[in-house]
Order: sequence, then structure tokens, then C-alpha cells
Amino acid sequence: MFRKILIANRGEIAVRILRACREMGIPSVCVFSEVDRTSLHIRLADEAYLIGPAPSRESYLRIDKLIDVARRSGCDAIHPGYGFLAENPALPRACAEAGITFIGPSPETMEMMGSKTAGKQLARRADVPTVPGTDDPIENVEDAQALARVMGYPVLLKAVAGGGGKGMRVVASDESFSPAFRDASSEAFNAFGDSRVFLEKYLDSPRHIEIQILADSHGRVVSLGERECSIQRRHQKVIEEAPSTVVNPDLRRKMGDAAVRLARAGGYVNAGTVEFLVDANLNFYFLEVNTRLQVEHPVTEQVTGLDLVKLQIAIAAGHRLPFAWETITPRGHAMEVRLYAEDPDNNFFPCPGKIIARRIATGPGIRLDEGVYRGWTVPIEYDPLLSKLIAWGNSREETISRLRRALDEYTITGIRTNVSLFRRILGEPEFLRGEIHTKWLDYLLAYAQPPAMEARPGTEAAAAIAAAYWESIQPGNSGGGQISGSEPSRWKLEGRRSQLDRQP
Amino acid sequence: MKFEVYLESPTGKTKHVVDLEKDGASYKVSLDGKPVDADVILAAPNAVSVILDGAVFEIHIARSLDGIYKLQAGPQEFQADVRDPRAWHGRKQGALEAEGRQQIIAPMPGKVIRLLVNVGDEVEVGQGLVVVEAMKMQNEIRSPKKGKVERLQAKEGQAVNAGDVLAWVD
Repeated sequence: MFRKILIANRGEIAVRILRACREMGIPSVCVFSEVDRTSLHIRLADEAYLIGPAPSRESYLRIDKLIDVARRSGCDAIHPGYGFLAENPALPRACAEAGITFIGPSPETMEMMGSKTAGKQLARRADVPTVPGTDDPIENVEDAQALARVMGYPVLLKAVAGGGGKGMRVVASDESFSPAFRDASSEAFNAFGDSRVFLEKYLDSPRHIEIQILADSHGRVVSLGERECSIQRRHQKVIEEAPSTVVNPDLRRKMGDAAVRLARAGGYVNAGTVEFLVDANLNFYFLEVNTRLQVEHPVTEQVTGLDLVKLQIAIAAGHRLPFAWETITPRGHAMEVRLYAEDPDNNFFPCPGKIIARRIATGPGIRLDEGVYRGWTVPIEYDPLLSKLIAWGNSREETISRLRRALDEYTITGIRTNVSLFRRILGEPEFLRGEIHTKWLDYLLAYAQPPAMEARPGTEAAAAIAAAYWESIQPGNSGGGQISGSEPSRWKLEGRRSQLDRQP
Repeated sequence: MKFEVYLESPTGKTKHVVDLEKDGASYKVSLDGKPVDADVILAAPNAVSVILDGAVFEIHIARSLDGIYKLQAGPQEFQADVRDPRAWHGRKQGALEAEGRQQIIAPMPGKVIRLLVNVGDEVEVGQGLVVVEAMKMQNEIRSPKKGKVERLQAKEGQAVNAGDVLAWVD
């Protein structure tokens, strides 16, 4: 096992990795930029080193500084977390040169599987379905139409030089193919001066479902099942869950097998995620591979009972995967929401600032992975993710009611968060029925009115009383300001009184 | 102590008169002239607990930049402007006025990257005035009212803090 691990990240994921190291009895080293001195990962760390100013390209993205800290502090492994350098092959290369183990796949695998085009080629070789279509522009209408018939309608015609929906046509039936082709070509020519178009299978309201895999360095690759990540706002995941409401054991096995084949073909080692689009007929198509730990990994942890970070470390240390199965059956249901410092009433404007007060969510089936605390100022320089609130239960219904309950408990004062967005989604009938797709949330936010909130009777009166009371205990007003239950010291009161007496 | 509380929520604006009279360790509370069965304490920093006729409410309070309180009562949010009628400094500045001259304030620290209007321009409600970049995102600061850009404090390339005045619209 490793002597000491450098955590090349910040925020909640640095805390997550630090905790795994501590549970394994491995000392860890954290790094921080000038604005992160007070961050939670540094408060919890055993050892920490400053690596530069706030901008990440001068700190968290500086491979030379990270390697230098690792050497000086005697680390023999680096965990990259997610984001920053996690998918940059230059980091594992630099690690190899310095004789440090990178906790993740090899740089070659990263290059081959991380790129969309190379990944797609690899998928074809591994017999993993990709979105069907032509790689080259259409030469003549007849051949293209023949191909469209083979693929099955609807299909999508896409301008080679395309963008912004120009030169793009959805073709629903064979009869409309040639007029649509003509329109798309001429539109593409008018818009871009290039009339060439591609043909691709059109996926109507696809779901984003991904498979978590683990691969050890002894050739063993397993699937840990799927995560449903279709709730996205502008291509950013906001809610993830496992299992998916549409994945049955048969589909789970098929998707898991495809992901394992792909990982084998690419010589993948460590934890990775194979992303798929799934259409209404439950056909799945390879999208891309994420060669790292995902933000939403806790969802899989809750339904498998595994600790993915510890397994990543064990795999990097050359250990064998400690289980016998090839595909897992998820136990219960888990769901994660990503709480961000942003204002949902103002177009999700980032709202960093000081966390004045906080009440956290706890209790049965609740997990809070986060890097924040009361009194901390959320810096403006980085991703404004505050906390990942994860709920799990026996069923999807129980999980959702736990998550709702936890969202009511969790309060942050001082900055705005997107918590109201989750309250709304978790009440939408379509979401509750699992009828979701990758554009669902964007449509909801664009076209649907938020339902009127039913206020609890008395809320307004209580708010008025609370506001008046709060005003009365502000400095300068006479009134008690103590937290109830603690009898104030008479010495203190006398001291305060005499101070007040001195005021002119 | 008597307070006038001007509450604003998405459902509308209301005014209440709250009288808090110290009664031993607690208060006698009356609301709009009527005594109510209410127990009010500070339960935790910035968290006021109110038990009103047996119903428990926890209200989280923070002061916003313009001196108005922001209240969260579970999923509900209010803004409150609290005035002491006896205080002769009168009402706080800029309180709850939707009309009149509006200060355009930077909601977050960042950098002004573009000015979308000039002094003297007529602007509509919701029209973008200034683009501020923060956390690698460009954010358009919009006008809260229809009117004329009176002053533009912001300059392109300037770093701003949360609360800095960017412009005035009247």
C-alpha cells in the first residue's frame, strides 16, 4: 500500500478523498491556492502546502508544483479527484517520470478513451453500439436514403459546417427524405457556403444513463450498474439516481457487458464511467468515457455498499478486485442533488459569498458530501458546488421523500442556493413517474410556470414576529439577544450595562 | 417595543404591527393590535424560532445589502423592512421601493467586462446594462425598471465587489 497520497484537488472531492485515506490509515497531503487557506479540505488535512494564487491555472492546474509538493512531502501516489487535471494525460506522464503512482488509468488509455472520436472508433471495434450514422458527408441522395431505411426513421440530417440548428432537419418518414435533404443542403449552403450534410439516427428525448466500471491491473473488469443522469440543465447534470426507472436486469446486463467490453478493448485500469444515450425503445448508444471518478459516484456507493475511492486506491496499489460477480444488482434506491451557490430566480446566476448560518440535514438515509461550513466564504474563483445531498431508501418513493425531507432541513443563510429548483423537480408528476430525458428540465424551466406554493398557515405572522424580534435584539436596541437555554453571566450583563451607560 | 414590519413575498406585500413586551425571560407578543400566543427565541445564530399557537416555525434571517432582512421560513422567502415608529431617523434608505430611482448593484464580486448601455439611454425592464464575469461565467445585470440610465459607475475591465453600485436608473 502507499506511504502517503497527494490529493491534487479542492472542495468536497478533496474532503472525500482525504476521508478515504484516513479510513485506510494512509497519511495524505493537501494543496491549496491563496484563497483556499480556510477551505474545509485544509482544515481537515494532516499536511498542506500552498501551491499558488487563486486562478486555477496558476495553482490547481500546475503539474510542476504538484509533483514538487509530492516529492518534498514524500508522497508515492497522487489522486486527481474530478475536474482540474483528472483527465489530462500530462499528469500521469509527469507522475511516471517522477516515480509516483497516478490513481487512475494510464495516459495512453486516457487519450484513447477520453477523446470523442477515438472513443467512438474503439466502441465500434469492441462491438458497442454507437449512434448510427455516416462518418463522411452524403455523396448522393439515393445511397443516403437507403442507409436511412436501414437505420430506421426518424433520422437527422446535419450540416458538416453546422451550428445553431442551421442546415439541420429531422426526417420522420421515407417520403419526406429527399425534400428534407434538399432543404438541409440549401440551408447549409446559404448559412455556411458548404452544402454537405451528414446522416445520423435521430434520438427523440434520449436518456443519459451511464455505467460505472472498475478494472484492476490483473485483467478483471466489473460493472457496478447504472446511474440515471437525465436531469440536466444546459448539459450539466443536476440530479442523478440509481437504479434507473427504465433499466431492467436484462438491459443492465447488456449495458454492463458493453461497458466492460469497451474497457477491456482500451486496456482500462481503475474506476471509469461509460456514458450512453438510451432511446424510447431502450436501445443504447455509446456517448463517451469519463476516465475518472464522477461527481455522482456516491449514488453508486449507496446502492452497492462499496467505497469507490478506497477501491481506486487499492487498484492503483496493484490489489485485485475483492468480489466475485461480473454485474451487480443494485440494492434499494439512491438519489443525489447538487446544491450550488446560485440564484434560481435570477437565471442561476452564481452567488458566492459568506455562509452566515447553516442547518444541515441528517437522519436516516441521508448523506452529505461537502466542502463548506458556517462562517466560510465561498470563493468566486471556482465551481460554486456547495454540497452533494444524497438520499437512499428501499424504493424510489422512499428515497424521494427522504430527499424532500432533507431539503427542508438543510438551510443556508447568507448566500442563495438552488434548493428551490430541487423542491420543484421532486414535486413534478413526470419526474415522479420517471418520464424524463436530457432536455426535460430545460423545457420545464423554459415553458412551465412554477406551481404556486401553498404556504403553511401562520407562516406570514411568524415571519413578521421573527423580523420584529430580530430587529429588537440588534445591537443598539434594548432586548435580550442570548441563545435560549444558556443563562447569561451576571458579570457579563453588568459589563454590558456599564458600557451602554457610557454612550452619550 | 412596537415595530412596523413591511413584508414582501412573491405573493404580495403586507404590513404588520408587532408589539414585543418583555415578560420575564420571554415576551408578550401582539400582532396587529391583538395579543397572540407566541413564543419567540433565538435558537441558533441567525435562526429565530417562533411557536405560534403551538405551530413551530424556524425563520432564518440575514441582512441584505440595502438594510432589508431576508427571511427564509422553510421553502418560503420573505423580505422584511422593520421600522421602529418611535425612531426619528424614520425609515431606512432604499426600503422596499419598487419605483423611483434604482441603484444597480453588483450581486457578486467579479469583473466588469462589457457595458451594454450609455448614460442617457432609455431602458426597458429586464434590459441588460452591464456584463459582469464571475466564476468564469458572464452574467448580464438587468434593469429592474423602465427608465433612463442616469449614471454609469462601472468601467470596462474594472473589478467590483458584491454591493458595489454599477449604475443608476431613473
